[in-house]
This record gives sequence, C-alpha cells and structure tokens, in this order.
Amino acid sequence: MVEIAAVAIDAGTLSTREVNAFIRSRLQGGAAEICVENPNARHNLAVALLQPGRVRFMGSVGYYCGGLMDGAEILVEGSAGWGLAESMMQGNVVVHGGAGNGAAAAIRGGTVVIHGDAAARLGVSMKGGLVLVGGDCGYMAGFMGQKGTMVVCGNTGAAFADSMYATTCYVGGTIGNLGTDAVVEPLAPEEAEMLDRLLAEHLPPALRAHKPAGREFKKVVAGRKLWNFDKHNWKTWQDAL
Amino acid sequence: MCGILGYFRKDAGTDSQLGATMLSMLQALGRRGPDSAGVALVGSGHRASYIVRVQAGDELEMSAQAIEANREAIRGFARALNGSSDLSSSGVYVRFVLTGEVDLPALTQAVEGIGEGIEVLSIGHAMELSKEVGTPHQLEGKHHISAFAGTHGIGHTRLCTESIVDLSHSQPFWGRGAADVAIVHNGHITNYHQLRRKYEQRGVRFMTENDSEVLAVYLAESLNRGETLRQGLDGVLRGMDGAFCCLAVTATEMGFVKDPYAFKPLVVAETDDFVAVATEEIAIRSALPGDYKVSEAQVEEVRVWSR
Amino acid sequence: MNDPTPDSTRPVLQTSGTYSPDVMQGIHTKAETGIYEIRGYGTLRQRRWATFDDLTFLPCGLTRIPLEGYREKCSTKTVLGGRFAKRPLELEIPIMITGMSWGALSYNAKAALAKAAAKVGTSNTTGDGGLSPAEREFAKDYVYEVLPSRYGIDVHDLRGASAIELTIGQGAKPGTGGLLLGSKVSETIAHQRDLPVGVDQRSPARHPDMLGPDDMVIKIEELREATDGQVPIFVKLGASRTYDDVKLAAKCGADVVVVDGMEGGTGASPAILQEHTGIPTLAAVCEARAALEDCGLYGEVQLIIAGGIRDGVDAAKAMALGADAVYIGTAALISLNCNKPLYVEDYRALGTEPYHCHHCHTGRCPVGITTQDPELMKRLDIEEGAERALNLLRAMTLEIQMLARACGKSDVHHLEPEDMAALTMEASIICGVPLAGTRKVFGR
Repeated sequence: MVEIAAVAIDAGTLSTREVNAFIRSRLQGGAAEICVENPNARHNLAVALLQPGRVRFMGSVGYYCGGLMDGAEILVEGSAGWGLAESMMQGNVVVHGGAGNGAAAAIRGGTVVIHGDAAARLGVSMKGGLVLVGGDCGYMAGFMGQKGTMVVCGNTGAAFADSMYATTCYVGGTIGNLGTDAVVEPLAPEEAEMLDRLLAEHLPPALRAHKPAGREFKKVVAGRKLWNFDKHNWKTWQDAL
Repeated sequence: MCGILGYFRKDAGTDSQLGATMLSMLQALGRRGPDSAGVALVGSGHRASYIVRVQAGDELEMSAQAIEANREAIRGFARALNGSSDLSSSGVYVRFVLTGEVDLPALTQAVEGIGEGIEVLSIGHAMELSKEVGTPHQLEGKHHISAFAGTHGIGHTRLCTESIVDLSHSQPFWGRGAADVAIVHNGHITNYHQLRRKYEQRGVRFMTENDSEVLAVYLAESLNRGETLRQGLDGVLRGMDGAFCCLAVTATEMGFVKDPYAFKPLVVAETDDFVAVATEEIAIRSALPGDYKVSEAQVEEVRVWSR
Repeated sequence: MNDPTPDSTRPVLQTSGTYSPDVMQGIHTKAETGIYEIRGYGTLRQRRWATFDDLTFLPCGLTRIPLEGYREKCSTKTVLGGRFAKRPLELEIPIMITGMSWGALSYNAKAALAKAAAKVGTSNTTGDGGLSPAEREFAKDYVYEVLPSRYGIDVHDLRGASAIELTIGQGAKPGTGGLLLGSKVSETIAHQRDLPVGVDQRSPARHPDMLGPDDMVIKIEELREATDGQVPIFVKLGASRTYDDVKLAAKCGADVVVVDGMEGGTGASPAILQEHTGIPTLAAVCEARAALEDCGLYGEVQLIIAGGIRDGVDAAKAMALGADAVYIGTAALISLNCNKPLYVEDYRALGTEPYHCHHCHTGRCPVGITTQDPELMKRLDIEEGAERALNLLRAMTLEIQMLARACGKSDVHHLEPEDMAALTMEASIICGVPLAGTRKVFGR
C-alpha cells in the first residue's frame, strides 16, 4: 500500500465534527500522519479513532482528546484537558505539556505519556495499559486502579493509589501521602531495569536526563485489605467508605 | 355532545337566504343541544378589509355595568383605530370593520387588553362568528342570523359534557390568529390535554377548557403555514385521537373530517346548487326542500368544497 | 402488635413497633460483623407512601367513547430520542428491559431476556460490566450503559448500540456505586471487568472523567462524536433531587432522561441505601415531568421511568403521568422464576423461603438467575426463560392497551393525567389529579 505523506488541516474555522470527520477519512485512506493546526484547546478532538495512523495536534486540546480510541497514535504539542484518552482500548497518546483531571481514565490498554504534570485522578479506574508522567501528579492518582502500570517521575499529590485493585504504581519523587490500602513495596531489580527502559523509550533524552534512575523509584500497590469485606479491618473500611 | 351543520352555496353571488336557512337547520337540531347555539357565516366580504367581532363580556359571569363599561371602551378603541368604520353594537357584542394591513394577533391582543372579560370572537375578510347561551331562537333574537346574506357557513348546538356552560365554551371556535377560519366539532378529543400542553409550551394561548378548541388552534396554525384546508383536515385526522366530526370554513371553502371510528354521525346532501352537511338528516330536510339524496359520511373521510 | 390467638397456657405476645423482629435481627447481625447489611432486591419495607396504587383510571362513560377492548387499534409503537439522534430508537412496545449487569445476573438470565426483548421488538440494557456475550449473540437492540465504573468499556460495543445510557445513578442506591460480592466475581466475570478473581467489587460513585453537569455537556458530545451522532444519548438518574437533575440533564443535551425511583431493584447494595435513599417512583415521575415542562422540553426530550414497575397498570399510570416508556428489571427476573417455589430446600439453605427471597447478593440463587455458579445456572433454561419473559412483556402490553382503550385512546401514548383520579389526598397533591369524589385537586 502506498503510504500517503503527512496531511494538514487548519481546525481554526472548522467545527469539531468536521475536524474529526477529516481525520477519520484520512486515516481510513491510509494517511501516515495528520497535522491539525489551531486546535485551540477544543473538546472532543480525535474521539473514537479506530484506524492506525498518527494525529499531531499543533497546540492544546480540550476534554476527552483520544477518548474511546482503538489503535491510533496521537501527539499533542500543547497540553490536554480532562479525560485524556479515556477508555482507550489500544493506542499511543503523547502530550508534551500537562494534562487535566482523569488523564488515562479507564484505559484498557495502550500507552499514555505526559511530559509535563498531570492533575487529579490520573489513571482513575485504569484497566490495563501504561500511563507515564514526566512531571508531578495530583490528588487521588490511581484511584481504584484495576490493572496496568502507572509511572510518575515526579511527586504525587495526596491519597495516592487509593483503594486500588491490581494496578502497579512507581513514583520517582515524593509521595504526598498514601491513599487507603496503598502500600509501598520493595522494588525488584528487574522492575528498576524495566523503568529505565520505559523512560528511555517514552521520554525524549533531554527530558529523561532530569528524571530519577529506575532504581530510585518507589513501588506502590494495593495492600488488598479492601479486596474483601472483613470486620477486622474496620479502621481501613471506615476510611474507605 | 352536539349537533353540527354546514351549508355551502355553489352558485355565484351571495344568497340572501343563507342565514335564514341555517337558522332553520339549527332549530331542527336544537333538541340535541339546548345549552348553546352558534354560527360562523361567510358573507361577501372584501379582501381589503376585516370584520372584527368582539364580545364585551359574559352575562353569566359579569355584572351589566362591567359589560357596559367594556363595550363603551371597545367602541372608543374602535373609533380611534385608523381605517375603522361600520361600528355597531348589540347586547354584549361590538362589531367594526378595519381597512388596511392588520396584524391579527396584535389586534386581538390589543382589543382583549382593553378590559377584563373581553374576547375577540372572530376576525375575517368575510367570516362572522356569533354564539349565544341558550337556544337557536335566543341566538336569532340577539344576532338576527336570518338577515345574513352570504355564501356558506357552519353552525352548532351544544349539549354540555365535561366543560362548563358559558359563552366562551360555546361553538363555533374561531381559529385565532388566522383570518376567516372557524370550526364546529361534535365528539371528544381524547388527547386534548397532551396537545394543549404542547401548544402552550410554544406560547399559544387557549381561551377555554373545551377540547374542541384545539381543533381551531391546529387549523389556524396549519392555514397560517400556507397549507390548504384539505391538508389541515388531513392533519386533524392524523393528530387527534377520540371521536371527532369536525366542520370548518375559510373565506372560500367548507370542509369536514370524520374520525376513524364512526362514533359521531354526519350526513351529506349535495345538489348542483348547494351542499348541506349535518349531524341529522332532519336538519337538512326541514330547511331545504327538494328531491335529493342524503348519505352518511365514511370513516376517515375528508371532503372540501371550494368557491 | 398482639398475638392474635392467645390461650390460657401462653401469655399474649407483644411485638414492638420500634424494635420489631427484623430490626432486632439487624442489630444482632451488626454486632457480629461490624458492618452494615448488604443484600439484594430493593426497598423491602411496607409502602406507606404514595404509589401508583393510589391512582385509578377514569374510563369513558357518557362524556367520552371507549374503544372496543379486543378489536380496535391501540398503537404501542414507541420512538425515543428524536431530539438530536439521526436514528431514534424505535420500539414495538413502551416497555424495555433495564440495565442489570452480567455478573449480577447469570449468562442464561441475560440470554433469556435478550431473546425475549428481541422477539417482542424492544431493547435490552447492558448494565454495570459492559456488553455480555449473551447480549452480543441474542440482543437485537441494546442500550449501552456508560457507568462510573466503566467495567468492560469497549468503544466497538458502544458503537454497536442502539442507544447510549450515561448513568449518573440508580434508583435503589442513588449517589453510590455498584457492588458485586466475591462469590460472583468468577473467572469469566473477573476477566470481563479486568478485576482479580473473588474480590468484593465496589464500583465508584462518580464517573472518572466528569464531575458535574458542566462536564456532562462535553461528555454527551463526546459520546455523540463517538457514534457519529447516530444514536440517542440517555442520561439515567437515580431519583433524588429529581426536578433539578432532570432539568439539568435535559439542558445538558440528553435525548432521553431515565428516572429510576426508590423502589428500583439491585443485585447487591447496603440495605439502608435501598430503604432510605431516593424518592418514590410516583413522586419521581411527577417531578420529572414538571421539570421538562418548566424548561419547555416536554415532548422533545423523552422520559423513561423505572423503579418497581410491576405490571401494565403501573406502566400505564407512569405513562399517563408523563413517561414515554418504562424500564422493568425485577419484574422481568420474577418472570424468569425468581421466587418461584422450585428447589425450595435451596431457598431454606439461604435462610429464606420462596416469595420472600432477596438473596441475590449471595450468588446462590436457587433458580439460576443471580448466580455465577454453572450448576445453579443450569436451572434456568434459556429458551424457557425467554418464553416466560416474552409472555410477561406481551401480557403487560395488553394490560396497557386495555386501559388506554377504555379511556378512548387509539394510542397508548395518548394517556394523560386527566385520565386518572387519585384515591388519596397525597396522590392528588403529588400528581395534580382530582381526588375521587371531590373533583378537586388538592395542595396545588
């Protein structure tokens, strides 16, 4: 198949529906990359992209960019609003700036990389995949995380990894405080190596240079005290419910 | 429930006996509905002017002084209007003619704003609506129907069912906001409240609690949208539920629609000279001599006659 | 309360109305477990508030003409979501199956309901856990629920739906999340929901990516984008501050608002939430309708009512008060033999009896409906179950038609509040219909 070179579109004067229709039709037609200029932090850009191909936003995006996606690649040069890549099945989303609340909420697979800071509830209810933040993250990151991996190179906010199921979290900076049933476990050597690989793979070298080494990360998982109702854990439950 | 009737002359020019004929028909039907009687008659009219009929108040609800005060105020208002003429009043009614461009809703609102209890009964180039509590005889006494010369008209006698006996609940109903449109209805619209709420949500004002009114509202909107009377009556068939035999007039037409269940009677007589439609054959026979056949209208039938 | 048959050998027993036996049992249980009671089913306490039973229909007499009950046309076709959707949901009847999760329900139960709905021409709703294999195979029209948990969320399943239901809350337990106890989080369910096997799964109370009506406007647009604007977006509310919530949902762009009242069912939830949160379904439908009228959207935004709809009468009354359709849940399960006196010894093993069982949360359903145990599930034959549920849907539809015809309507959607009278003052005040015998509406 002949790969079509990059196409560009100016979103400035178009409706969100028109921009998305353009993106979808070009992806379907085999375009390798679509450049979207002047996204102006609009909401619902690149929602439900189901074809492979890359979309590059030359600016900031609003809520739910890349939401309900399966298989595409998105690059945001600016920052992203709430619900970045929410419910993504597979795919790759990279944001150069920061991301708002609920980045990578409920993702089932794929990768979400945020070079800057993430706001509250990063990776809430995530069900798989990888979310990696170069900067800090806010309140209740990892809340009710079910599966998958969260890597935060900087510091976390309060209630980190609260009420989790089986998501594994790694923190390079300080933990604001641990959420209910969140426990710090020793980092295995293989995990330290994995973190080095991930950071090398997903962060540009200039950014990577300022981040902790893999072995400096702390590992946070669920203590499993909330996995089944148990009257002996009354104190834990009192805080959890 | 009610008796309804319609009479349509096919010949050119006006019939000096139109009113008298319709009065006879009304009287024959009168025993079906002793509570009120009314007609909407279409005369020769003038495209350039409007006949406005106003009720100054309801004698059953207001004092004679209040009605008198309203009537004088309406007369004063009419006199002061640009292009008004032919001002007359009788009993609780005021009638005047207005020449020129008229915004019907605005005029209606202005007249009704003059005083409490005032209602515009009809506005039309040629159509005039009269209705009265009581028998056709009492209608004649107050309005001299028998003297009306015209081309076609509809009439109604009422037996009150679910709403109250007062003047504004009597029929015909003018299609408010549209010129020359009136309806009479025999039956009960069973989705009236639902339809009324939808109209009110859009700002349409209802004057009574009588379900027949929704037919007038519907047709007025339909005709104002540019639809024909036939299209309007087809719409009635689709949108209304329950029992309905509905007769309607415009400046040049008369038509009827019959519901899908044959709940209410309607007989039709047609000759080369006229069309007569009524709830009972006796209404036609007693008013119109001649050797003609009368037949029952069919379910879901819509018919319109034009001049 | 007194024992009604005292004799000379026994004293008369007096039972406290305050500390009744079930209250005492509740305290005993808390003393043993240190936690609140969790169970299934919904509101169990006796209904002393205004319900649909406090209304009666006023069929035609002399002032109106009835339609012949068995002969004349009475249309039941129902169209939902014409406000914005390119493809509104068209149903043959105004009764739909509400969201009940695969997890709470067995595969066989979901399959039976999907088949019945498909056959009669109505829809199924997925529930907390995503699209089940049973629905994938047997459902014709499914409503895809987007809940706070997002268990099983899959854009492809979402795009295959006939409507999307954005769930804010549920009638049995508004303001809180779902619950599925460990015995029902089997390998299959755990895999579907991306959870460890055997956890006592708690769903979040809030959506992960939206936290208020201002976000919801954008979220609804996202769902429209994801489905090319084709299908209606429902917003489902547990009936709490219904008037305000319905207005907001309508203004935020919902095509259809679903209001689920206090008497609604659940597979597992804290008992106090089921008993003491939310407002009754009768009150909720009246508030919902008033809200839509007050913002001028009644008729443009459709209303689905749920929460203890037991038969065609409840449905007809809900519709007369303003619903365009009703959801059934518990009634549908009862049609599948819930609480039928079969396998009676298994009811007793749970500490209950047929007609009294609300033990869905245990996963030991004696008739195979609310269980993940394959042996128990076998007791619910899919074909038989589908036929029973289909019969219920048909019978309910006939009931609605019968009432509508008696009131002179050729379309069940023409039922109006004016077709009813109230049997109690409260119902008159709440519903704005006259109190029978007085021709007056009280309290307005």
